[in-house]
Amino acid sequence: MRGNRRSLRHLSQNSTNSDVGPPTHQRVRSAGSPSCIIQTLWAKKPIKKMTAQEVRLCGLLLQEHFGEVVERIGTHLLRGGAQNLRTIANETNTPLDLVKKSLCVLVQHGVCDFGSGRRGPGSPVEYRGNCERVLRILRYPRYIYTAKTLYGDTGELIVEEVLQRGHMTMSNTVKTVADRLTHNMEEGRSMEYSEVVSSFSKLVETHFLQRCPPVAETATAAPSATPATHRTPASVTPPTAESNPDCYKLPPVTLTGRGKRRRSSDDGEEPGGVKKAKMDSESCGDEGIYWQVNFERFHQHFRDQAIISAVASKLDQTSSEIVRTMLRMSEVTTTPTAAYTQPLSANEIFRSLPPNYSISRPILDQYLSLLVDDPMEFVGKSGDSGGGMYVVNLHRALANLARATLESVVQERFGSRSARIFRLLLRKRHLEQKQVEDFAMIPAKEAKDMLYTLLSENLVQLQEIPKTPDHAPSRTFYLYTVNQLPTARLLLQHCYKTVANLIERRLFETKENKRLLEKSQRIEAILASLQASGAEPEQLTEVEEMITAPERQQLEALRHHINKLDSTENQVDETIFLLESYIISTKSK
Amino acid sequence: MVCIFKNVTPLAEHYSKLTFPHVSTKTVQLTSGKIAIKSSNTILLYELCQQFPHGITDQVIQNDMPHLEAQQRAMAINRLLSLGQLDLLRNSSGLLYRMKDAQTASKMKGSDNQEKLVYQVIEDAGNKGIWSRDIRYKSNLPLTEINKILKNLESKKLIKAVKSVAASKKKVYMLYNLQPDRSVTGGAWYSDQDFESEFVEVLNQQCFKFLQSKAEVARDSKQSPMVQRNSSFATSHEVWKYICELGISKVDLSMEDIETILNTLIYDGKVEMTIIAAKEGTVGSVDGQMKLYRGVNPIIQPTGLVKAPCGLCPVFDDCHEGGEISPSNCVYMAEWLDF
Repeated sequence: MRGNRRSLRHLSQNSTNSDVGPPTHQRVRSAGSPSCIIQTLWAKKPIKKMTAQEVRLCGLLLQEHFGEVVERIGTHLLRGGAQNLRTIANETNTPLDLVKKSLCVLVQHGVCDFGSGRRGPGSPVEYRGNCERVLRILRYPRYIYTAKTLYGDTGELIVEEVLQRGHMTMSNTVKTVADRLTHNMEEGRSMEYSEVVSSFSKLVETHFLQRCPPVAETATAAPSATPATHRTPASVTPPTAESNPDCYKLPPVTLTGRGKRRRSSDDGEEPGGVKKAKMDSESCGDEGIYWQVNFERFHQHFRDQAIISAVASKLDQTSSEIVRTMLRMSEVTTTPTAAYTQPLSANEIFRSLPPNYSISRPILDQYLSLLVDDPMEFVGKSGDSGGGMYVVNLHRALANLARATLESVVQERFGSRSARIFRLLLRKRHLEQKQVEDFAMIPAKEAKDMLYTLLSENLVQLQEIPKTPDHAPSRTFYLYTVNQLPTARLLLQHCYKTVANLIERRLFETKENKRLLEKSQRIEAILASLQASGAEPEQLTEVEEMITAPERQQLEALRHHINKLDSTENQVDETIFLLESYIISTKSK
Repeated sequence: MVCIFKNVTPLAEHYSKLTFPHVSTKTVQLTSGKIAIKSSNTILLYELCQQFPHGITDQVIQNDMPHLEAQQRAMAINRLLSLGQLDLLRNSSGLLYRMKDAQTASKMKGSDNQEKLVYQVIEDAGNKGIWSRDIRYKSNLPLTEINKILKNLESKKLIKAVKSVAASKKKVYMLYNLQPDRSVTGGAWYSDQDFESEFVEVLNQQCFKFLQSKAEVARDSKQSPMVQRNSSFATSHEVWKYICELGISKVDLSMEDIETILNTLIYDGKVEMTIIAAKEGTVGSVDGQMKLYRGVNPIIQPTGLVKAPCGLCPVFDDCHEGGEISPSNCVYMAEWLDF
């Protein structure tokens, strides 16, 4: 398995199925073929402290995707920070080889990174979990869906494959995707590799896929290099994907042929796998170049979509189309963390508008000035040259969207009058209780009740300003206020807990109906085999009736429940995305 | 009572502190024919004060009547003060004496000093009114005495008691002919100290409906975007007129009242406001400014978090897997799933 070449040399070789062709998902989970060089550049990122809610959610996600053991190791890493192999094994009471395999899985998916120990060169290698990367798992459906809307089924499958395996070579991806597409086509047709290659290269061109950061190949030079890096810790930077100049460069690959159909006549999986392995071991010219999904780029896309839809609902369709054009024009020229897009002149915008949008130049100018005048300030004016230079206020837009999210939570949970108080405080910063009553025009008794409820939920803060040093209540101003950033952080934690709750409930629902699910699966299998062998229709109905009507109803209800839980998870993730982006954007200021 | 001296504050306390020496000289009938002043010095002073209706300082008296010694001057002033003919005020340069207008003086006829003092304190409070405890604090009289005096003055229809909306049990006193301040009555939004919450909500909805329909008409007009935007604006005067014509309010609402209502709509996130400069004399402009309002759409739909039952759960913080309240046995979740 090539994917694991990048893994760790210091983990003893114990896998049997290394280098046997494209791994299935299951194989990735358990196998490891470590043969690599210890990373000397131990990513010295400051470790973000994780909350209990985040770790709980991470644990659930790891368990769902990689199973119990990986979950145990992963959660331990997230909780305990950087530690070496021996410690992990001891503290989790897991056999050493299981720990190694789990670490391989985690490293393969970028959830865990490793580097030389803190005690200097020669000390045991340490591993560290990356919580944010685990939380991305929650967003997989959205990445895949986005790839589908942008690049069709092929794009969808490419992103899906790469996400499921952590990282892959291009040739591998193309082959797997072509096979899968062929499998779903009608008999006698198949998918050209070249078509998949073109989709793949489009994804790379638009930066949705990127090369994995190179693992520093300095094993031989390590003794001399390591002390140097230790003396100047400032120069130690984590190897990011972007730092590689070839990050978005496609390797020259020679891929010809078409996808192959897995025939049901193949005797099971194994021989097919071996055959494929032999075929895949042919050199395609891109060995060692692995690709991963560029989450940043996807997030940028999500952010742009959020801004566009906000403009569409606040103003109108045409304005949103103009903003979309502006964002698309500056997509590649603007860095992901920039507060504004590159300035664009009205002339340029006019030329780049989609041709089916027949807006005349003066109308465009009017739209632009309306966008600039809007109090949401999505678009700003940065100069007058070239018919006016315009920028999209990315950070301001995120802050506004986050504020709207907070308001919406208060509105739905505590009613529109509490939301009025909340907005009032956001607008006027500090207010006394009496002022809140007067401005919001809510009777004193109710206003007091609402304020206290909001205060107890930590959505509103109270600031005391004493007139005298003794803090006597009668001589103290009590000012209510809303701090947007801490409140956003609070709600983000609520979101994490909510998603974890939804997952727990889903697991619970499946567990409750385990017997029923197993039965229905068994019956489906029987049906399929009967159909294949050409059984009588009476026989089929007989088998079908083994599931009674109430059972069928129950299954239907279960399906409904699971779907609802799933879709809600995705919706909550949208809130998480907005709040996270807002928090990150304020940090980078 | 209009006072041209900006920093003039009434000195009610002085009354109780000044001494009233006994003056016994011949009685002189003054031209007013109502008040008897028994001292030639006092008469002179009285006449001097009449010449300067805005008040005189000690210096003026000294210049005008150089023959008077300080003691005699004080005696004359005290005499007039005790008769209720003179007001003692303080401004930046010192004390100031001013004639009281004849009407008040006549009203107070037959009242004793304490009563005058209380009346003075209430008068100074203006249309904001004053609480009986504050009267005591300012006049240094015992509360029982004050209550007696207040009752007395009320029966003479010189003052009235008004219930304040700020505290329903607190009565404030003000002169009988005054219109209570908005802070006391609460303005149009109160009837008998109760905040008319439904009334406010109805007005809030009506204003929004007006602005929304205006915005819709503008959107359907198919004009250029700028014209569309501008025609979706309504001035506060227009909204006020609409509400008045609707006739939903029994009380007369002022434009400021409507603006407070419109402000609540801003805090509801449904309306935006812009201020533009207007020509003096344009209808609905205040100080050369005009407030424009328009209905707007929210930028997002209800966020994803609140679509899950946990987003609205009242026991969210107590919920733990394996606990009394947990996602597995959650009743809200069960109801929501079966919905």
